[in-house]
Amino acid sequence: MRAARLGLGLLGLAATAYGLLLVVGLGPGQLGSVLVWVVGGVLVHDALLAPLVVALGVLAVLSASPSWRTPLVWALVVLGPLTLVAVPVLGRFGARADNPTLLDRPYWAGYAVVATVVLVLTVAAARRRRRSALG
Amino acid sequence: MSGRTLTGVAARLEARIPHTESFTSELRGPRTAARVGVWLGVALSVAFVTGLYSHASQLATPPVALPTAPARLYQVTQGLHVAAGTAAVPLLLVKLWSVFPRLFVRPPRPGRELALHLLERISIALLVGAAIFQLVTGLANSAQWYPWSFGFVGAHYALAWVAAGSLVVHIAVKLPIIRRALSEPVDDVAAASPGSTGPVAPTRRTLLRATWLSAAVAVVATTAAELPGLRRVAVLAVRSGEGPQGIPVNRSAVGAGVADQLDDPAWRLRVIGPASTLELSLDDLRAMDQRTAVLPIACVEGWSASGQWSGVPVRDLAALVGAGSGEAVVVRSMQSRGAWRESRLPANFVQHPDSLLALTLAGQPLDPDHGYPCRLIAPARPGVLQTKWVHELEVVPA
Repeated sequence: MRAARLGLGLLGLAATAYGLLLVVGLGPGQLGSVLVWVVGGVLVHDALLAPLVVALGVLAVLSASPSWRTPLVWALVVLGPLTLVAVPVLGRFGARADNPTLLDRPYWAGYAVVATVVLVLTVAAARRRRRSALG
Repeated sequence: MSGRTLTGVAARLEARIPHTESFTSELRGPRTAARVGVWLGVALSVAFVTGLYSHASQLATPPVALPTAPARLYQVTQGLHVAAGTAAVPLLLVKLWSVFPRLFVRPPRPGRELALHLLERISIALLVGAAIFQLVTGLANSAQWYPWSFGFVGAHYALAWVAAGSLVVHIAVKLPIIRRALSEPVDDVAAASPGSTGPVAPTRRTLLRATWLSAAVAVVATTAAELPGLRRVAVLAVRSGEGPQGIPVNRSAVGAGVADQLDDPAWRLRVIGPASTLELSLDDLRAMDQRTAVLPIACVEGWSASGQWSGVPVRDLAALVGAGSGEAVVVRSMQSRGAWRESRLPANFVQHPDSLLALTLAGQPLDPDHGYPCRLIAPARPGVLQTKWVHELEVVPA
């Protein structure tokens, strides 16, 4: 176990070092931009996204009745990441006038359908839980 | 806790920063992190391996001869690459949520423990930074959105090694915790059995099931356009799969700056070889033996579409100018700029009879956006290397 961990660790360190060499090899012109995006990603998660989710959790505990909590977990875990994944297509930032085959779906409509299905299921689950709790 | 006493401003600041104990959700912690982490590790490994293959495919001279069959190989591996990266988004978010309190662990007193603590912090920062970078840049790239000033291919490749390496280090460091967490039940018995007093609070199992569903929904919504019958539910797919002659377009003739050169009657295909150089008109090419093959256009962005292509096998053209069987062919486009204006077809791909200089798609002359008058189409290759608007082939030593 100890030897396996040591071997894994050394292998991982070697791959990390190789990656960092490749990053440095991108050259001073690109390095700054890469660092901004690496550090920026961590900051956006740790300082914005994670506190927001913590706040939502606190809000749910304070204001949602117990029958809602489990359905709300399902709704947040499914819809939250999907919303982030959808940002590039919802914004259609990469769309080009000369290429109508790219980003050619009605993304807001599709997203609205998925969100509606999730929310309807959430409400239905919460009502069923309340009924079974009362009954 | 460190047990260190701080004074003054430092103490007041410290008191405002949350502690590990400030987070009270029972759902966080190793039992959740280890189980989500296993699947996150699987997703990132699939993305890493398929990414290495894609990267090797795009090198001018791959380190080893890559397989030319099956024709759909790159379509499958790149579809897996994008699907695994997409599935990793909810997995990473829930994983980070489950360990978020660890961010507020106070450093120990100076000494060996502090050094180890800092080393682990650095490795975690590299892992999280690289993982978020890979998922964000990959997703944006698949929608052809480049809101940065670095080159995507080089940066995505470099950070892939950082992410993979720091992930392996992380697993090595945490292995005892992972093993213990996986051997424990997901939920404590009391939490798992519904009481008679009311609805059960969310359990770890609920969170895990929601996470698996989230990963599945994200994959289906973005990439199911590749699977027959599921195209309509891929509401977030970057392409519907429609396009001229039934195939989507990655780069249009207008975008490549070649639209006004395509109808030039003086167009000739120059074929340069060790024995001679030929100039062939479109009629000359049509008069040669034609071959038809059903081959996919499989883009690095993860979409793909199969078409029925007809044209002259590249090896027949290479043979006309005295090429042997061990030589590669460089294919050049009329494009005057752009990273993909030329590609190198390795010798084993040149010899594949389905590697075509295609003149038609679905029985019709190529649409300008598909590379009229002729384009390269070969099995098991990334779409960006299927050079369009070809005007020159050169036989080069392998």
